[in-house]
Amino acid sequence: MDKFKLTNLKADLKKGRTEIMLYPSKCDGCEGEEFHACIKACEEHMKEKYGKYSGARVSIKKKNGKFFPVICHNCDEAPCVDACMPGARYKDAETGWTLTNYKKCVGCWMCVMVCPFGAIERVEGSHFASKCDGCIDEDVPKCVSACKRNALLRTGIKNYSYERRLMVAKKMYGPYVKMHYAGIIKDKRG
Amino acid sequence: MKYVIIGNSYAGLSCVDAIRRFDKTGEITIISDEPYKAYARPLISYYLEGKTTDETIWYKDDNYYEKNDARTMFGKTVSSVDTASKNVVLDDGSIVKYDKLFIGTGGVPFVPPLEGFNPASPMMGTFTKLNDAKKMEAASKVAKNKEAIVIGGGLIGLKASEGLRALGMHVTIVELLPRVLGLALDEISGQITAKRLNKNGIDTVTNDTVIKINLDGTGNPESVTLKSGRELIADIVVVGVGVRPNVAFLEGSGIKVDRGIIVDKTMMTSVEDIYAGGDVVVTYDVINKRPNIIAIVPLACEQGRIAGANMAGVYREYPGGMGLNSVEIYGLPIITIGLTNPNDPSQSVFTYQEGETIYRKLVYSGEILVGAILLGNIDGAGILSAIIRQGAKCLSYKDEFLKGNIFSFVIDNEFEIYNINEGYAIRGDFKDLPEFSRTNWR
Repeated sequence: MDKFKLTNLKADLKKGRTEIMLYPSKCDGCEGEEFHACIKACEEHMKEKYGKYSGARVSIKKKNGKFFPVICHNCDEAPCVDACMPGARYKDAETGWTLTNYKKCVGCWMCVMVCPFGAIERVEGSHFASKCDGCIDEDVPKCVSACKRNALLRTGIKNYSYERRLMVAKKMYGPYVKMHYAGIIKDKRG
Repeated sequence: MKYVIIGNSYAGLSCVDAIRRFDKTGEITIISDEPYKAYARPLISYYLEGKTTDETIWYKDDNYYEKNDARTMFGKTVSSVDTASKNVVLDDGSIVKYDKLFIGTGGVPFVPPLEGFNPASPMMGTFTKLNDAKKMEAASKVAKNKEAIVIGGGLIGLKASEGLRALGMHVTIVELLPRVLGLALDEISGQITAKRLNKNGIDTVTNDTVIKINLDGTGNPESVTLKSGRELIADIVVVGVGVRPNVAFLEGSGIKVDRGIIVDKTMMTSVEDIYAGGDVVVTYDVINKRPNIIAIVPLACEQGRIAGANMAGVYREYPGGMGLNSVEIYGLPIITIGLTNPNDPSQSVFTYQEGETIYRKLVYSGEILVGAILLGNIDGAGILSAIIRQGAKCLSYKDEFLKGNIFSFVIDNEFEIYNINEGYAIRGDFKDLPEFSRTNWR
């Protein structure tokens, strides 16, 4: 607790602690093409990886010419993990990613109800709630390598991404994602 | 440090996780009156339907307790808490000492006075525990007429009916309110839900209640008599009216109880070093702006975590929660968030309906969204619940929301935030930022 490590991109990459960052202004929704490249790549990869529990984990929403890729933001203290009744959704201890054990998912849609980013999708036919798993076992996530515009980027700068998300989340969602720094722990314990 | 957790479910285990995040060495003891390791209790209806099995109903990994170095005392009931000498007294007379105590005992099913009801009968009971589900499974096999009566059309009643229906019973729900899920749903969505139930072999009798269970010679139910005078055949009777906080064992302990346990912002009870969370506490309702008992899973986990952090010496406050629920009835998903049936005439209601497949309702208080019902299409429901919890002004988005374009709010608001620091993303080290330990967390 009293060890304050600094972020280090190389070390993060080595440890596999990576995130997928969004740059919505770069996204043009792959206009003129039949499919969004990231969605197609994700769909293919998920079919390979999860079989029955396939389907793209990334989606692109459009409004007035603006495109917005919707993908899991991998919250700390994730609301979807809290809300998951069967315990299918969990935090992976090694990578810090919020993962899903789809065998346990019963389709109660509690996670859909609480995800503040709308990043969890109800798959009606197979009756499960799908969510991005960060492709942590891959060198580069398929959606990232498929994106020609660099609107999706894999980054290892944990703190920065966390801070940035916290900033977003705080502006949008207030106390819901309030976090106390480790520094306070230190103070409290003397 | 000796931590004792009473209750082996969502709040209790969330508390264990939070303690272990900050205190790796403290001694943790988990006491539960059930003989099982933690299982997903709301899933017992899915268990009857076969959607979850004996292998997948367990809430945590098999080695969860060993991994967290937690001592377990399953099948033991706490009879009292001695706050002066910091002891938990079990029903067999043994004593467990604690330095910090967490009470996450949840709720006990509430049974209204009902002539002929005997929970010991194999054909009658409540529906909150795994043993209840197993009992119903056995009962359905010996039921002669395959007729079941479920008293209460709330979430528990509905789930019990679905489970019994899956066992091949014909089910009748008897509900006192004018519709099923009467507190969460409004008239239109209640009707749609009831139709869906009826189509699938579950009858609904509303504005009525069971006044007497008529027993046969062996003490098992034969039929029920309703207040309206009707008599319905019944092999199985399930009471699913609701739950009350499980606080009976706290009598005389000095812990302040008003329906549920009263806690402060840090989830501490009126007695120092004793914390509580989950369905057993009275929490602050951010929508109705008053203390309220909100018995849902997400809040239990949040409260357990806040309590656990405070128990381990890390100060955290709980901002309060709100009621929200999600249920799927035969392929029809329903999500209700916050205030769905406003009484205040100053609050405005907007609805949108597409036949019997899609229904949306928004409740605004001034410019602030305070409640919503989404039926049929639930995409982006989480965004609405975040907006409601946050209290964001979004009246201008009401048409978009009604049409189902919930993401338009995110695009407009987040798009800008996301692009503020764009050129700044690939900067190196931040010397002043401590690393967040995202590992070892759950």
